Parts: sequence; structure tokens; C-alpha cells
Amino acid sequence: MREVQLVVIGGGAAGMAAAVSARRNGVQDILILERNDSLGGVLRQCIHNGFGLHRFKEDLTGVEFAAKYEDMVREMQIPFLLNTFVIELKPDKTITAVNPEQGLIEIRAQSIILAMGCRERSRNALLIPGARGAGIMTAGTAQRYLNIDGYLPGHRIVIVGSGDIGLIMARQFVLEGCQVAAVVEIMPWSGGLPRNMKQCIEDFDIPVYYNSVIAQVRGKERVSSVLVAKVDENRRLIPGTEFEIPCDTLLISAGLIPENELTEQAGIRLSRATRGAEVSEELETSIPGVFSCGNVLHVHDLVDFVSEEAEEAGQNAAVWLSENRSLPGSTSTESTADPSPESVFSQSDLADDIVPAVSGDGVGGIVPQFVRRGTAKKEISFMFRPKNRFRDAVITASSGRDELIRKKAIALTPGEMCRVTIPAEKLAQASEIRFSVEGTMV
Amino acid sequence: MYDVIIVGAGSVGSAAARELSRYRLNVLVLEKGHDLCAGASKCNSGMIHAGYDPIPGTNEAKFNAPGCSLMYQICDELDVPYLKNGTTIFATDDNGMKELQKLLHYAELNHVRAEIVTPPGLYDLQPDIGKDVLGVLWVPDGGVTNPFSVTFALAENAFHNGVQFLKETEVTHIRKTDSGFTVTARSTLDPACISSQASPVSFEETSSESISAEDGSSVICSFETRMIINCAGGHSDVINNMVSARHFHIIPRFGAHVVLDRKLSEKLTTTLMETPHDLPGGGHTKGMAIIPTLGGTMLLGCDATEVGDPDFTDTRRESIEQIVDYFKAAWKDLPTGSDGSPFPEDAIISIFGGCRPHADTNDFVIGEAEDAPGFVNAGGTESPAFTACVAIAQHVAGICIDRLKPEKNPSFDPYRKMKKSFRDMTNEERRAAIAENPDYAKIVCRCEMVTEAEIRDAIRRPLGARSVSEVKLRTRAGMGRCQGGFCSPRVLEILSEELGISPLEVTQCGGRSTILSGRACQGL
Repeated sequence: MREVQLVVIGGGAAGMAAAVSARRNGVQDILILERNDSLGGVLRQCIHNGFGLHRFKEDLTGVEFAAKYEDMVREMQIPFLLNTFVIELKPDKTITAVNPEQGLIEIRAQSIILAMGCRERSRNALLIPGARGAGIMTAGTAQRYLNIDGYLPGHRIVIVGSGDIGLIMARQFVLEGCQVAAVVEIMPWSGGLPRNMKQCIEDFDIPVYYNSVIAQVRGKERVSSVLVAKVDENRRLIPGTEFEIPCDTLLISAGLIPENELTEQAGIRLSRATRGAEVSEELETSIPGVFSCGNVLHVHDLVDFVSEEAEEAGQNAAVWLSENRSLPGSTSTESTADPSPESVFSQSDLADDIVPAVSGDGVGGIVPQFVRRGTAKKEISFMFRPKNRFRDAVITASSGRDELIRKKAIALTPGEMCRVTIPAEKLAQASEIRFSVEGTMV
Repeated sequence: MYDVIIVGAGSVGSAAARELSRYRLNVLVLEKGHDLCAGASKCNSGMIHAGYDPIPGTNEAKFNAPGCSLMYQICDELDVPYLKNGTTIFATDDNGMKELQKLLHYAELNHVRAEIVTPPGLYDLQPDIGKDVLGVLWVPDGGVTNPFSVTFALAENAFHNGVQFLKETEVTHIRKTDSGFTVTARSTLDPACISSQASPVSFEETSSESISAEDGSSVICSFETRMIINCAGGHSDVINNMVSARHFHIIPRFGAHVVLDRKLSEKLTTTLMETPHDLPGGGHTKGMAIIPTLGGTMLLGCDATEVGDPDFTDTRRESIEQIVDYFKAAWKDLPTGSDGSPFPEDAIISIFGGCRPHADTNDFVIGEAEDAPGFVNAGGTESPAFTACVAIAQHVAGICIDRLKPEKNPSFDPYRKMKKSFRDMTNEERRAAIAENPDYAKIVCRCEMVTEAEIRDAIRRPLGARSVSEVKLRTRAGMGRCQGGFCSPRVLEILSEELGISPLEVTQCGGRSTILSGRACQGL
């Protein structure tokens, strides 16, 4: 069995950034495992701009953004295996993967960075009823057909959900000469970035139906129309509000799900709120030496922040390796033998050593989920999505009656992540870090 | 002249074809779908019913229990995986317990092993069952398989033993002749393709005015045959009524299943069903069930609603709500939810549905039509017809054999070897498979771990896949949690390569269900 200091699973935006950062922080023995035939992940099919504004202070396409990191990986001569699919991840940090050149590969890793990204919620997971013929696919699949393979999946399109990929695809379909008949969103607001709503939808006069769902898909062999209906405040369909929109294609852009099947297989504790691993302020999971970052940890709004988070994970893995390298045995397995979902930090005897981050009013899942007392970090950045749209909002973090931080925001929307940084010293006495958002709901 | 034409290549038709292939007979199977297993068999849950519940004395009772053991036998012969996990019918109130007594009585009359188990013995049998469950009927011979694998295996084996198959060919007329029947069918296959696979006596290109644009191009072809076996499922009434004055009618009864991701299935060691009951609008259901599948996912369902069209497969909002609402309430009684965990709505990965071909005779319609010698029905094949398919096939094939008195087929081979799926292999087996064929190291469907080797094999096999969903039924590619989001573009590409067609011609499920509609950037 091959031994590797640091294995990065996934060679997309997160995996490449994590590997580059780990190398910069002194890790020599790195291996990236990528299931596609090239590095870059989903960025390879993102030919639109808007990437890199934070990270590189440049307006790049997704392809260019990925190329920057791929160049770094190549310059640093970080090894990577393409067409390599991890079929098993064990709690003792052994990895089984397959690829056509080497067949079955078994690796014992000292540390691992999970960077597998996310997948799109499907039509069936959304329980959209009706016909089941051709013409129904996720926005990302359509993006791949269009930008990698060069094919149009249809000509008259209805988009379910207002996630960013759907919005980007709406604009691209218009530019391809197709008609985008409607965007149908169950919530009263868009789940995508405000800039995408403006640049991709409003600028092209595409109708958006809020508080609406697809009541039925029609068409025997291929979609011929959809019935759109209003929903009430409990998101239940209001009978009698249906109207028909003819279309030949239904694109689904209604949420992304972190791909944590390997994480689960290894027995790593997951958060119900983010559907990613529960991590410390070091982005370390419940298995020591296993880190998680990017969209497999929680679904980000911008790739810039994916890379930023991944670079941090790479650095943390480097520190972890330097601290644990001298331990007896090359892999720190002593606390990882138990694959039960009850992780080290959720056991009551250790609970005193951590400060949990808690979602209060208006706040979705938070990353990191907890901070270790006595953390070496000077300040901790937390990320979460607000649960509603707010105007004149105030974000607070508190522990009991003590307010740890207070931050004002003109406008908040679930499509954009909130980032709150708290000095570590403020957490010394805290029993929890409860985040809340207040403001006028719009 | 054919000896027997079988109408319909679902589980019953394919099983009948295999039974006839044991003899020196000229047999042709006509299937109107783009693929085999396109009707009720495709929408089946795959449960192997032991036969405890059909009303004793009916055809359903007569064929179910023998069919159950035959199903296990042919799965062994044809290398189709199955689980013999038993069926547990649970009761949570006194009425339910009375129902279990009735079923136990039926089971005895139908010669099916069954026993009622109550606490505390129940907790030895089902440690995780909910505390509100008063008792269960434990039926050890119940099981689960995969209806597509069974049907494809039966058909492949029949084909291997000399039976001819024509897909995309729908019987439109049957005329009695002195020596048997003339069967006329409309086919969307081209004449050369038909002639290479079967022996029609005549061809007629449909004139352009007689076909609407809807139908695309088609040819009318006729076949002569001595006998006919009607295995047309949802359309078995139409076929029967072409020949026999003893009409019956199919009342298509729609049912849906919700599919849950495999994460929870470890606790589910058996199939659990509520007690059967009558439905508000008339009719009867075997009861809602939670069924572990071979793929590790779970099926929840199903409801029963009468719809007009036997080919109706749309999912209905009402069905979904009925199933989800039922399981939300019942979750605490099931091993998956008895620990207090709520119904995992976010683990729903799919829904599918289709129609049971329920006949207005309230039973299978089996046997030779009294007024049409040589015309043998295997119709009205609602549940448990899938379980019973081989038993039914033996019976109807037996009628043909008694009449035609053929010799045995000396080269009949009852076995089919199927390579284990990559997902189910040990790492050693995987290593060997990759060494033999590196395409085994190319994972196309991530969720179900289906390799390129398996997808190419599914296309190359006899009667193989010709569309994305046909690949899915044969390999599970696209059946997992992402529902083909990642793999369908690659499956499309492989289909285009293997079939030698443009990606623009690759369909979801045949006909006009093309997935792509043109090249991008045509203006550039």
C-alpha cells in the first residue's frame, strides 16, 4: 500500500487551492485524486465571467480561474491522478481508488483534504410530478452539454428555481438564440446572487414567477409544456392557480447538495444544516487529520471563497502534519478507529473544550460548527446564509447575554453568504456563539 | 409460418418465450415498446410475493406460490441477483390483527409458509420494529429481485435458444385462418431490420396520408402463425378482443413508488407491509410497503388509482402526497424510524409509477380462448403476475406444446452467465476485472458506481440497450441520488459511439425522445 502525507480528494477549485497552499506551507508529499480527465471540476464548463474578483482582483471566466490554479499545481509539480475515482474511504485514512492506467490503487494517507464539491438537486428529488420523457435536466447538465460538448438541449426553456447556474444558463440560452419562457421560484425571492438576477434575468426581460412551482410536466416522449401554480405561505400548491407554459425543456436549478458519500462512508460526522462535515475552526472533521473545504463542506456563493477556504484547509493540514509527524506510527489512528457518528467533539467529556456555533433567528447552517478553546488562531471567520431577505439588517453573535460582535448590513439575501469574523480572545469565556440576523424582512 | 407468436415482451411474455425455447418451435415475440420490459414489468417493485394473500381458488392464488419458487430457480439459472429477505406484514390495531388471521388462513390454503409473531418473540425476529406494532405475519419465502434484470435475462436466454424478437412492433389486427392466424403489426423499425430479425409474409409501407406526423415513419407487416400467446399486459384486453368474443377489459390501476437513498437501508432486513385493505373508491391494495432493493435503495409505495390509459406513467402529485404522508405517520413503526428519527424527506431521490393491468374479471385471464382455438391468454397480469410469470408461462406454453407436440430442443441451454456488477465485486475481483478490461476502471455513474465496461456491455448484449433509460434499466447508471445529472452526458456519448449514430439522435427512451436538439452557436 502506497503511503502519502496528504491526499486531496477532488481536483476542482477547492482541491487545487488546498494542494497549492499545503505545498506553500511545506508539505512535500501531496497527491490529488481527480475523477475527470482534467483538473478544474465544474469550472471547466463555466465560460461566463465574474470569477476571481476577490481572489485575483481580476474578472475571469471559470475556465481561466481554474487555469490559474492548474498552472500553480503544475509549476509546483504537485502530483495528480486524473480519471481516478475514489471508491472507498476508511476511518483509518486508507483510500481505495481506480483508474484505467493503474487499476485498483490503495493509499494510506497521513492526512486528507476532502474537496469533492457538490451535485445538483434533481427533478425527482424535488418531487415535480408529471411526464417523465426527455427534455428535463439540471442546469449544470445543460451547461455541460452546451459548453463542453457543443450541443443545445432545447429551444424553449423553463427553469425551475433561481439558483446561480440556472440564472447563468438563462442568459446563455438567450444568447444562443433560444427562448427562456420563465423562471419559476418557490420562494418569494431568488436563491441566486443579486448580480446574476440583474445581469442574466432582468437585463434580458425573462419573466420570473415567485411563490410558484411546477404543478405538472406535460408531453409524452418529450416535454411539451409545464403547468405553473402559486403556493401558499407553507409552500403548498394553491389549486386553481395553474397556468400552462409551452416549452420543450425544463431545467432544474433548485439547490446544490454537498457530495459527502465518502465522508459518510468514513464515519465522519455530518451537519444536518449544511449537509457537509462538521468542522472545527481549523476545518478539521471528526477524524483528526481529515479536513474539508469548498462546496463539499457547504455550498458557497462564489468560487473565490471556495479557494480561500481551501487554501486555509491546505495550510491547516500542513500544520497538522508538522505537529503529528513525530507521533508513533505514520498515521494518527488512535482516535479514529471508532467510525461511529458520535465524534470526538460531541462526547460530553470533551464538550468543555469546544465552543459550538449555533444558528439563531434567521440564520442557516454555520461553518465552522465549533471552535476549540485555546485555538492558535487570532480570529475566526464564520460563514452562513441568512434564511430570508432582510433590509437594514443587524447580524449579532452572542454567548448567553454577552454580545460578542455586532455587524450592520444594508441588505441580506439567502443567495449571498454572510461572513463574520470574531477575535479569538472574545471566545475565551463564551459557552456558545449564537448567530442571529434581525432586520426588515423584504 | 411461426408456431407461436407471443404478443408482449414483459416478464410474462419473456418467460413464455423461454419456456417455448425448450422445444423445436418457431417462436416470435412482438413488442410494441422501444425496449423489452416497457410496460407494467418496468414499473414493478420487484417484490417476490410468497403467495399468502391471493384469494384461494383464484388464478392469482394458483400461480403465485409455485411462481415464487420458480422465480428463485430461474434467478439462479440466469444469474439474476435476488434477496430472500422474507415479507413482514405488520398490524398496529385490532382490525389489523384480524386481517393477519385472515391472511394466515389464506396462506395455509395457498400452501405458503407463514406465521403470526407477536411480542416478545417479535423483537427477536425484528429487533428494530416499532413498539406500537401488535404483531406481524412473517412470510419467510418472500423476496426481492429486479424486474428489469429478470425480464432481460429471460428474453436473452430465450433469444440465445432461438426465439426471435421484434421491438417497436405493435399488433394491430389478428385474423383467423385455416391453419392458425395472420398477425398484422405496425413497426417503426425499417423493413431491412425487420427482415433480418424475423420472417414476415408481407410488408406494406404506410401511405403518407394514413400516418400523421406524430407517428413518424412506419411499416405494416404480417406474420403467419399457428398459435398466439397474449402477454400484452395493459393491452391484453385489446389483443383478446381482436380474436375472441369473450371480451374482458383492463382497468389500468396506477401506482407510484418513492425511492429513498441507500443510506438508511441497513436497518431494513425484510420487506415490511401494512395490512391490505379496500380503497375508498373501490378496489384493493396489498398495502403500503417499504421494500429494500438490490441496489440498496428503498422503495416506498404504492397507492392505487384507476386511470384510463394503461401506458400512463406520469407521476401524480396526489400519489406522491399519499405515499409521503402515509410513511411520515407510519415511520415510527418501521425499523428505519423506530429510534425516533423523522421521515427523511431529503433522502427521496426518485419517484416512478405505472399501471397494473387489472382485468374486470378481478383475476388473471389465463388459458385458451373458448371460441378461438390456438389463441392463449396470459392477460390481466396485475400483481402478483411478475412473481408468477414463470408459472404462468409454463402453463400457457404447456397448452401450445400439447397442441403442437414439438420435439425437445436438444441445444436448449437454461443458463446465462452474467458478470457481477462492479459495485458488488470485492476489491480483488475489481482488480481482476480491470486487468482484463480497463474500461472497468472508468466509473461513469458515480452514485451507483457503474463502469464504462458495464455500459458498453449493456448496449452490445443481445436485445441490448438503445437509449439512455434502457442503459439505466440494465446497469443502474442514472438510478442513484443524482438521477443521471453527472453520467447522462457520458452515457449519451457511449451510446452514440456504440450505435454509430449522432449524439443528436440518441434518445431518452426511444421514439422522438431525443435529448439534444441541435448544435450550439449555429450562427457562428
